[in-house]
Amino acid sequence: MLISEENKGDGKNKTLIYRAEDICDFAWTAWPGYDVYNDEWRHVKITLLIPHIRKEQVERQFRAVKNALEYLSENVGPFPWPHLTFVDPPTKRAFAGGMEYTTIFTSTSADRMPESLHLPEMVTVHEFGHGYFMGILASNEFEEPWLDEGVNSFWEERIMDHYWGENSGIIDHPLFKMSDKSMSRISYLLSLGRQVTTNREYSWNYPHGTYSMMSYNKAATILYTLMGIIGEDTMNEIFREYYRQWAFRHPSGKDFIAVVNEVVKKVHGDKYGPDMNWFFDQTLYGTGLVDYRVSRYTNSKIRDFKGIISEADSQRFVPSVTKDDSVYKSVVELDRLGEITLPLDVMIHFNNGDTIMETWDGRERFKDFNYSGTSQIDWVKIDPEYKLRMDVNFTNNSKTDKTDMVPVRRYINKFIIFTQYFLNIISL
Amino acid sequence: MKILSHLKSGALRSVKSWKGILIIWFLIFVMIGILAASAKSGLKSMIGSSMITELLRDTVNADVLTDLKEGLSVLIASVTKGFILLILFTFIANAFFSGGLFNILSKKCSRKSLSCFLSGGASNFWSVLVINLIVSLIFIAVASIIGGILALIVSKSGGGNPEPGAMSKAIRFSIIIVALLLPVLLLVADYARAWLIGNDSKKPFSAIGAGFVMTFKKCVLSYLVMIILIIIQAGFGVLVVSKLMGSKPSTGGGVFLLFLISQILFIIRLFLRTWRYGSVTSLLEETQTTAVSQGQSEPVAEPLSDQV
Repeated sequence: MLISEENKGDGKNKTLIYRAEDICDFAWTAWPGYDVYNDEWRHVKITLLIPHIRKEQVERQFRAVKNALEYLSENVGPFPWPHLTFVDPPTKRAFAGGMEYTTIFTSTSADRMPESLHLPEMVTVHEFGHGYFMGILASNEFEEPWLDEGVNSFWEERIMDHYWGENSGIIDHPLFKMSDKSMSRISYLLSLGRQVTTNREYSWNYPHGTYSMMSYNKAATILYTLMGIIGEDTMNEIFREYYRQWAFRHPSGKDFIAVVNEVVKKVHGDKYGPDMNWFFDQTLYGTGLVDYRVSRYTNSKIRDFKGIISEADSQRFVPSVTKDDSVYKSVVELDRLGEITLPLDVMIHFNNGDTIMETWDGRERFKDFNYSGTSQIDWVKIDPEYKLRMDVNFTNNSKTDKTDMVPVRRYINKFIIFTQYFLNIISL
Repeated sequence: MKILSHLKSGALRSVKSWKGILIIWFLIFVMIGILAASAKSGLKSMIGSSMITELLRDTVNADVLTDLKEGLSVLIASVTKGFILLILFTFIANAFFSGGLFNILSKKCSRKSLSCFLSGGASNFWSVLVINLIVSLIFIAVASIIGGILALIVSKSGGGNPEPGAMSKAIRFSIIIVALLLPVLLLVADYARAWLIGNDSKKPFSAIGAGFVMTFKKCVLSYLVMIILIIIQAGFGVLVVSKLMGSKPSTGGGVFLLFLISQILFIIRLFLRTWRYGSVTSLLEETQTTAVSQGQSEPVAEPLSDQV
């Protein structure tokens, strides 16, 4: 808050003194082109500085910051400061955007940003989140950037997909939607350096330009995968506990993992083993990949045999043809193609409508599930809710004899329509 | 009223030329269909027996695209090349199509028969191709010059530090100017082709000259007719594409219905274009009839070069 303001008497200069409690970084900005807007969320007075030309984005920006305040206050811990200032720098100084300081941060946008593209909201939510993951939980960004950028990206993605749509957190256009968590997974999967180093390294040792992927994308995808295993409620409880234990202190990665172990044990007992170190050793501190595959499934009719007929030098079986011979032996064959082992669900659907949910610890290189009955397997899905977001290939997670090609036909149809009209337009 | 009579004449001629229009639709459909069929089989082989298509039911899914990345990058590369070839082929084929249509729309072709369309397309192919090429190049040059000049002015304004939003204003302004000039260039192209057919000429440069002369001779009337037709075509196109692209049929029958509707609407779109050709042909024929009845020479520009 402003403590004092002293004019120097020359009409040009003045001295302003501010005071803020429990902050670990500060910044200031000045530009005559800013429009200033004020709003409030519970106890927090919010100020937005934004170029006049972007006045139509004011509502979007306030909504983003209030959503982030609400979500993090509920699921992590209270926002402790009474003031929050955020800045949307003008295009010609766009490089100042996307930077965090405690109680002040810069967002990023562009003039006439389409409503369907939630980039300004994403940056605002992300940079605000640093008030927690760096500001309140003051970890060392240079030594363990995943604990700062990665954890913060995880929360940014959750907030974006929660408030702007599970599948449309970052892009919400009728023709194309994209969740924020997908963007992170894509950056991780498409990175050529996704296996060259681990998060055990200090950030200055990350090779081949992998800083961004390792710190933001892989770490956030790892945390999503952890949430897929232990559940959303447990994950929120971990962060509440992390906040309770480490607010306004300097936690390290080991401290965070210790909190994970403590909370998971408290909530789930020994369901996942004595601790969760096996998870972090493989994912955070390892270079392996997750890839599980439905290799195939078979439905074989079981028949009894009356006996064997021997004829000269050959023998043949005589099958029993009765009403009861339509019993099938069904086998599901699963493979682990990646190095990382994770527990997972397997859903098997039969043609009589029955569905069986199996669990597999995922440790072996292969796994078979056997069934016998009057129905046949229709389809099989590994991780049916796509919760293990580190899995590098969702396409091989399922198998069926009746692939639904309707969406593909629809897209091909639209390709034809688009091409027809495009060619018609460019022809004189 | 003159506007309405030309629009009416163009519409009638367009409807009578339905055989030519159906041929154009069929050939375009076959060309695109070959590309679409190969894209579809490529996608099918990538997806295999996976159930991942459940994630594509609502919209394109980025996770799926990423998982298919290796096959998809090959598919996109080949479809892109195919698309470029398609553009080239359509540009060339359009010389045949528009030559045929202008022939069938003209008074010469009273029976509006298919042979009229085909013979018109074949006999005027090279001349129409040159006209299309030159007018397209003029359009690209005009758009580039206008856009370039405005961008240069804006970037130099304020001592090299332009006001926020100035560039986007310049872009919008240049789009408006180009949009206002577009009817003029379309009139030149249409008059040139109609003149070429109407005068049994094989001289594309003379035809372009005649196109300019005709455009500016009946400037207001021609421009208004063209503006009306462009607005109708553009409105129809935007409406149809936005509705069709936004539709999400979830069953095989629904997709087939969408396909049928889209093709019927595209045929209507081709009728609208032919309506434009027919209206300009009507304008030209009226001018030439008036000129002949008044004993004037036809509005023909001096040939620039006829060695094509």
